[in-house]
Amino acid sequence: MTAVLPARFELEAAELARGGGRLADMFAAGQDPVTLHLVWALDGERRYVITSCEISGEEYPSLSDLAPAAFLEECEIYEQFGIRPANGRPLNRVVLPPHAGPGFPRLGRQPEQEPAELRAAHTVGGHAFEFPFGPVRQVGVESLYYGLVTSGEEMVDLYLFTWHKHRGLEWRLQGQDPRAALFTVERAEGLSAVAMGWAFAAAVEAAAGLEPAADVQRTRAVALELERLYNHAAATAALCAATGLSVGQSAAEIVLEKLLRLNAAAFGHRYLFGVLDTGGTRRAPDAEVLRTELPRVHDELRRAASALLATNSFADRLEATGIVTAEQAGRLGLVGPVARASGIAIDTRLTQPSPPYASHPPAIAVRKTGDVLARFEVMQDEAAESVRLIGELLDAGTASGGTEPPARAGSGLGWAESSRGEALAWVRLDDRGQIARARLRPASVRNWRGFDDACRSQNVFTDVPIIEASFWLTVAGMAR
Amino acid sequence: MTLWFLRGLSRGVVTTRYPARPDQATALLPTPPAFRPGAIGPEEADQLAALCPSRALKREGAELVFDAGACTACGRCEQASPAVRESGHFELAATSRRDLVKRIPLKPEAGR
Amino acid sequence: MNKDQDPLPPASTRDPMPSGEPAEAAIQDAAGELRHRIASQFGRSLHIRTLDTGSCAVCEQEIRLLTAPHYDLHRLGFFFTPAPRHADLLLVTGPMIRAFDVAARKTYEAMPGPKIVVATGACALGGVYQADAFVHGSVGEVLPVDVWIPGCPPSPFALLQGLLVAVGRLYEKVSSLPFEVAG
Repeated sequence: MTAVLPARFELEAAELARGGGRLADMFAAGQDPVTLHLVWALDGERRYVITSCEISGEEYPSLSDLAPAAFLEECEIYEQFGIRPANGRPLNRVVLPPHAGPGFPRLGRQPEQEPAELRAAHTVGGHAFEFPFGPVRQVGVESLYYGLVTSGEEMVDLYLFTWHKHRGLEWRLQGQDPRAALFTVERAEGLSAVAMGWAFAAAVEAAAGLEPAADVQRTRAVALELERLYNHAAATAALCAATGLSVGQSAAEIVLEKLLRLNAAAFGHRYLFGVLDTGGTRRAPDAEVLRTELPRVHDELRRAASALLATNSFADRLEATGIVTAEQAGRLGLVGPVARASGIAIDTRLTQPSPPYASHPPAIAVRKTGDVLARFEVMQDEAAESVRLIGELLDAGTASGGTEPPARAGSGLGWAESSRGEALAWVRLDDRGQIARARLRPASVRNWRGFDDACRSQNVFTDVPIIEASFWLTVAGMAR
Repeated sequence: MTLWFLRGLSRGVVTTRYPARPDQATALLPTPPAFRPGAIGPEEADQLAALCPSRALKREGAELVFDAGACTACGRCEQASPAVRESGHFELAATSRRDLVKRIPLKPEAGR
Repeated sequence: MNKDQDPLPPASTRDPMPSGEPAEAAIQDAAGELRHRIASQFGRSLHIRTLDTGSCAVCEQEIRLLTAPHYDLHRLGFFFTPAPRHADLLLVTGPMIRAFDVAARKTYEAMPGPKIVVATGACALGGVYQADAFVHGSVGEVLPVDVWIPGCPPSPFALLQGLLVAVGRLYEKVSSLPFEVAG
């Protein structure tokens, strides 16, 4: 991690961006002074670089010109720390609820002005109107508030509010023991419990200088691939539900239920909670049950997926729907299957390989068209690859075991490729080894910002649930 | 459509008969702990309360108070003490929140 | 369910009698009987509305699986509905984030009576998150809860049992479960 003087801050950032660096995350820490941290992914060089800068005043050089993806992070930093980019542009309310006054718990100090509630001006023949939808929506989905802007059927714009699901997790983690904190971190985005747990445990290990043994790293990867598998099966079921194909939905749900039962048989929990530990894992998988059952269950998924692709009423709804172009995906810093379906070949299992993926690299699934169909195909390819990887990892041997991190100061970055994409975590430990600052960045924090672009491109209302299923994000992961 | 119909027929019925008949799939589910009465001392009870991430355990005098409603069945208390085991109970719905709060007598203090 | 059976749940399953006056005890008794009569109206067909007050998204996934082939809620006469006006039962997840209060109350009030509220998951029951500036901690702080279903997440089996208890088709058992290890 390199600390930069404010004078050099913009230059360093420009250099990194020009050299192909991807701004993977931006966040602040500390009070008086506040330190700004930028996490750059150098995908070609297979590593991350963090640049940091102390901000003594209220402003810092804007980065959203260099990295438009940084706009939402700038908004969050303003709400939590009261510091803003020097370009004078208004910042939106993103993270904290409207009633968050002076006494409201923040990571830093309250901003001078209330954040704005602005959206881009809409001009579609002068007849666009806006209607709010949610946050209580259809059955069995998370609460989410959409502002739909439409001229009738056509989606002109779509903006999201997620502050009603903000649990203040980063604030809660302050002062906690890092090992005990995994309980909370897993629940940041429960459907990515393994990924977030791994990213956070890896951050603690980087901070504390711990290196887990190879066999427990393989256990982590088995759990992560199982998580990827069940999420992709769930997304398949959701796509069928969105396209009104009940039979396909049932087929996918049968596979999903079998996978969840397999998770429980292998690791003791249907959603793989409680697997990750600092320095390793709390459990090792039942390899036998995975070896016998997993190929059979995956085969059902594979056959259901190919039957779906042969069903016109399904495939026609997916093709050319919800297109995210490669340019949009790059500009917005999207990750995961959404990025890969648009041709952006980033997968941290390959682009920032850490054990065990360095020795067990997966094949990367990429498409070019960026529509719902491409995302569906990427997920199916990844599911097959996950099953293959699990077999390989089990053959190489798995074990459990964790370590209490030593009680000393340090900071570190951790990451894992969740089913939704790159999940990041950063932690600073104080002199007693307790958490002074934890940053959690599930992939959902990034990818929701691609959702409005995807909905806007020539789509109508009924396409929105289909597009949402193909992104397969969570509100919990974005709002934290 | 024939394709789907035939596939469905060949798979058979997967639907559970629960609650009319028990379902062996319930044996896979993690369940809240059960405690051996009179086996846990007050100090151990305090330690168990401290390690519960969901505040489901606390000591009140000579009793361990267990809130099955707050419990997430994470297993940390079972790992920490041989006097704590999985209960196997998964039918936990309550019509009164208080019914989920259980009191287990602790080991009496030495000399009694 | 056998109509000739005594429709009232056994005394042990009702709220513990408050100490003191017989008048209060009689009120408790009447409230329990009324609640049971209401619940038994829903015994054959029930419409469920779901409400997320801040979950981690996993409880929702288990709820969605209730209509999946392995569980098939419909065989029990239960249905999901997105329309609060059609709903009889509100199935609530999450620790009741304060920023969500208004939406939660509006959803509850939009449902015509009689109605049942079921809080599901450790978060909704007051576990996981302590009450603070962000969350109430328990759904019971904002809505009147009739049935509480523990779990993290409650599995679809646990949800089925909870829903059947809520409509009086199963007796709750947890009040008499000891959570003790023998010997």
